[in-house]
Amino acid sequence: MTTVVDLSNALAGAVERAAGSVFAVHGRPRLASTGVHWRAGLIVTASHTVEPDREVTLTAPDGRTLSAQVAGRDPGLDIAVLRADVDGVAAADIGDDRDVRIGHLVLALGAGPRASAGIVSALDIRSARRAAGEMLAVDLTLYPGFSGGPVVDVLGRIIGIATSGVSRHLQCAIRASSVTRLAEHVMRGGKIPRAYLGVGTQAVALPDDLREHLGLTQRAAVIVVNVSSGSPAATAGVVIGDVILAIDTHPIADPGDLVAVLTPERVGKTAAMRILRGGEPRDVEVTVGERPSRA
Amino acid sequence: MLRSPSVSGLRAPEAPPPHLARIAVQLQQITVEICTARGGGSGILWARDLVVTNAHVTRAACVAVGFADEQQAEARLLAADVRADLALFQIPPVAVTPAVLADSDALRVGDLVVALGNPLRLRRTITAGVVHALSRSGERCFIHADLRLAPGNSGGPLADAAGAVVGVNTMIAGGLAVAIPVNDVRRFVASALSGGA
Repeated sequence: MTTVVDLSNALAGAVERAAGSVFAVHGRPRLASTGVHWRAGLIVTASHTVEPDREVTLTAPDGRTLSAQVAGRDPGLDIAVLRADVDGVAAADIGDDRDVRIGHLVLALGAGPRASAGIVSALDIRSARRAAGEMLAVDLTLYPGFSGGPVVDVLGRIIGIATSGVSRHLQCAIRASSVTRLAEHVMRGGKIPRAYLGVGTQAVALPDDLREHLGLTQRAAVIVVNVSSGSPAATAGVVIGDVILAIDTHPIADPGDLVAVLTPERVGKTAAMRILRGGEPRDVEVTVGERPSRA
Repeated sequence: MLRSPSVSGLRAPEAPPPHLARIAVQLQQITVEICTARGGGSGILWARDLVVTNAHVTRAACVAVGFADEQQAEARLLAADVRADLALFQIPPVAVTPAVLADSDALRVGDLVVALGNPLRLRRTITAGVVHALSRSGERCFIHADLRLAPGNSGGPLADAAGAVVGVNTMIAGGLAVAIPVNDVRRFVASALSGGA
């Protein structure tokens, strides 16, 4: 009998340990979401639960009400980083998400605490707008208000941030390592930069003979339908009608792939863009810019 | 002749710990069916001659209850509290060991729990999950559990990982199982037996 009782105690202990750094986030009307004290003074939550230009308040684990400001967002990953004076609230115990395996028992937590249990169902989600390796799929129920809350292992270590905002059919967790990367942007520069090329694109199929001729494996690419003047793409000489095949060897098959490749880390760096112009391949160097973003 | 496939590369699967299965068998013994004209529900063998269920399952003065060994017995209503949604029935004494009761105040969020009952007439079905939240606001307390219930689970036991009953499954709200804590049920039974209810 003891092993099941031990497991039960481990799960309850995991909830207790993690709950000490879990906040209720009031950033939208009616339904509060959940947030986690990630690092000194930075609270992470799901971006879709914090409306723009809105006063945000937090309810600490000890019941205090605190005010918070949005320090940065990554709408692609559905993460918002808030800044607040959270004296006395422990920072989260963050686990190594590389240790996570499919089938591992996990708990999702809401403020309160409230808990929901299940397993890791996939290590990677390839959806159009998300880069590979940044999201886990979890087989558990994300109850209303659970978005932005931690997904913890049986020891109470946080392996990701839960969100129901990125997929209609899957419960997702943004990996802890991706969240840490975003929090570090805020710590270093006070914000999360948004990478920007200044092109509007549409997916196009690549004809078989062209693929054969160029030795391409991808079946589709994106065609440039708009270039903003003065943008990084315009400066690099990209024109309407160019077909973008790849950026830094990442194949671009639809506009979502472009968003996924344009991570905050790329701002200010040069990227090698492989394009087709008039059916002939060319390489274009582009310096990725920063999009002015609002909180 | 066919060679049997090599198993050298495979690890022998360890025998799964029989604990949950043992708990399930034990709980099936104390989970009874309440058969009414309007469908059915579940109940808990509280003592050798007492069955507890929800008041909304039945308020008939007399009802048939079914046991795991396929025996049936006539149950007589002793007390019902519609507000608390609890009912107590007397049955002829049975040879089955009644439910072991836990202290529901000791429950923690995240604790493993199982529910037994007759959802959709599937008899003595077990579902498992964790404690989602404990609401202790106001005079009524509830255990919210992240596990699946269906109509017919009403009145059946919610039990902890040791197989002790922590609550009476009563409602489904927002996908969550909602149970009356067993400590509240104890008070109801005590007051009913002392003639107070």
